[in-house]
Amino acid sequence: MANFVQLVILGLLAGGVYVAVGVGFGLVWGVLNIVNLAHGALVIIGGYITWQLVTALHLDPFLTLPVDAVALFVLGYALQRGVINRIIRAPLLFTFLLTFGLNLVLVNVLLLIFGSDFRSVTPAYAGKGLEFGSIVIPYVALISLAAAILLSAALAFILNRTRIGLAINAIAADRDAAQLVGIDLRHAYAVTYGLGAACAGVAGGLIALIQAITPTAGEPYTLQAFVVVILGGLGRVSATVVGGLAFGLVEAFGQSIPGSGSVFANAIAFGLMVLVLVTRPQGLMGRLR
Amino acid sequence: MIATAASNRRWKRIFLIAGAILAAYALLAPLTSLDAAQSANIPLLADKFWLRIATSIAMFVVMATAWNIIGGITGYAAFGNVAFFGIGAYTTGMLVAKAKWPFLLALPLAPVVAAAFAILVGLPLLRLRGHYFAVASLGVGVAVGELVQNIDYRGQPVFGGASGLFLPIFRIANRDLFFFYLMSAAAVLSIAVTWWVLRSRFGYGLIAIRENEEAASVLGVNTTAYKVASFGLAAALTGLAGGIFSQWNVFVNQDNVFPIEYNVQMILMALLGGTGTVFGPAAGAVLLYLLIQFLGGTLPISFDIPFVSTDARPIVAQIILGLLLIVVVIFVPRGVIDFFGGRTRLSLSYLRRSLRETSL
Repeated sequence: MANFVQLVILGLLAGGVYVAVGVGFGLVWGVLNIVNLAHGALVIIGGYITWQLVTALHLDPFLTLPVDAVALFVLGYALQRGVINRIIRAPLLFTFLLTFGLNLVLVNVLLLIFGSDFRSVTPAYAGKGLEFGSIVIPYVALISLAAAILLSAALAFILNRTRIGLAINAIAADRDAAQLVGIDLRHAYAVTYGLGAACAGVAGGLIALIQAITPTAGEPYTLQAFVVVILGGLGRVSATVVGGLAFGLVEAFGQSIPGSGSVFANAIAFGLMVLVLVTRPQGLMGRLR
Repeated sequence: MIATAASNRRWKRIFLIAGAILAAYALLAPLTSLDAAQSANIPLLADKFWLRIATSIAMFVVMATAWNIIGGITGYAAFGNVAFFGIGAYTTGMLVAKAKWPFLLALPLAPVVAAAFAILVGLPLLRLRGHYFAVASLGVGVAVGELVQNIDYRGQPVFGGASGLFLPIFRIANRDLFFFYLMSAAAVLSIAVTWWVLRSRFGYGLIAIRENEEAASVLGVNTTAYKVASFGLAAALTGLAGGIFSQWNVFVNQDNVFPIEYNVQMILMALLGGTGTVFGPAAGAVLLYLLIQFLGGTLPISFDIPFVSTDARPIVAQIILGLLLIVVVIFVPRGVIDFFGGRTRLSLSYLRRSLRETSL
């Protein structure tokens, strides 16, 4: 029983990272109709910024998260305004290939700058945690989950309570009507992608805490972001939060299967995704649009 | 513009003839490596190295042309076709290495198993549209590779596991030449199949599905059967290439038959050449494969990229490839074959127009 509770707790805590990875991806997909294959590269850029700040300035890694967000927002805004806006009316295959090209460029630029060495961030309190009898709650995972929830809340606030957020919602509902009422589409699209990239940056900062990163370490997260968004359902931040936590749970239980459960991580994730797509395409929390 | 239909047809004929001459040269030049040709003092036009590259090109011609059937003609953005390549390779590989079948008997089963798998997963997946289908097919591609590498039975890896599968060498005179012609035959077959599809009732049904699936269904096209058949056909051809690859390469593992990059490369080739056409994907495959190898510095004809050390070269090659991909997608979304005898010619106004059509 204690074992089961421990698994549930670890799964939910691990879900925090998936929430952070998923919200930005889901925003870009839901509003811009772009499946952003460069998402993993943006995540890893965030990870490298955190690593660089921690090694150079000895900051607490969690304090670097706002820097990740701001830096990636600027990068994302520029990418959308300068490049992705050029093909926004093209068929979906083109957005796929364009973001794949961006991913290739970003990952290889990182390789040129940082090389392929593993980099990790280990704060003094890594490996410690709250203990309740035999159940342990690691601090790093706990703060990560809190940061991810905070990030989602901030994103939901921006989308529902600010002027630009309402503009983004209007675009998601009907692009042409949004343009008719005077929304500057180029700017609003760029802000949307920038917000998505900022979330990816924060996710990268969290990921640098739980694993050693290399420039190519982001690719699995692009795939997992898909699964998280589909699990929860496209279109709402809260749905992605549920999807991320559910994915964390599935992964924790998948890895605890005796034998070689951990090597089938992708197969389990994608099997689950295909199952959800076929039986409940709107996701666990989604509404049909 | 004064470019009339007649002049366009003339350009099209010129490029077709040039392509035919190039293809004939590529198919005949390797014959000069035969002993008989050598003893007759015919100059050697293709050494072992070029033969290997030519065989790889033929392999990508098959993959790009096969992808074109589901992606270009039917309009379903399949992102996991590499799964069929891997399944074909492992089918032939397992039969030859473990069951000791002769290669030529094991090869026909590669397309059969790949197509059967495609029909099985296609029935649920092809109900999905747009991004959902693309993502789900990518998921299948990744998951199959992982399963094949990691499935154990009583502690023994069933498919050779992480160390891969070694096939006994296929004993035949002029092995390199044999595999080149086998792969080329597969390439010709896939182009012929595309040609047939585009002229058949089946192909018109597929095009109708691409243009408007509801309308096609109203007109009496059995959309599910057509889509699954198209997916299965693409899988069979891709699986055939995989089967040939496994015996040609003698070694098969997850990295060399399930690489994620192949998914994108075959799409890019089809796109570069022109989707939905007969020869476009093949032309794109030749161009892109040579370009990738050229940038990577593996061709004997090569050049030095200024300010770049040899260590960083593969990385810089990838960056150039990525930038090229971005430029192609933004400026020539209809593929380069569009200039050669299509409706348009390459000009600044063409680039500006295609940019304006798709940008915000």
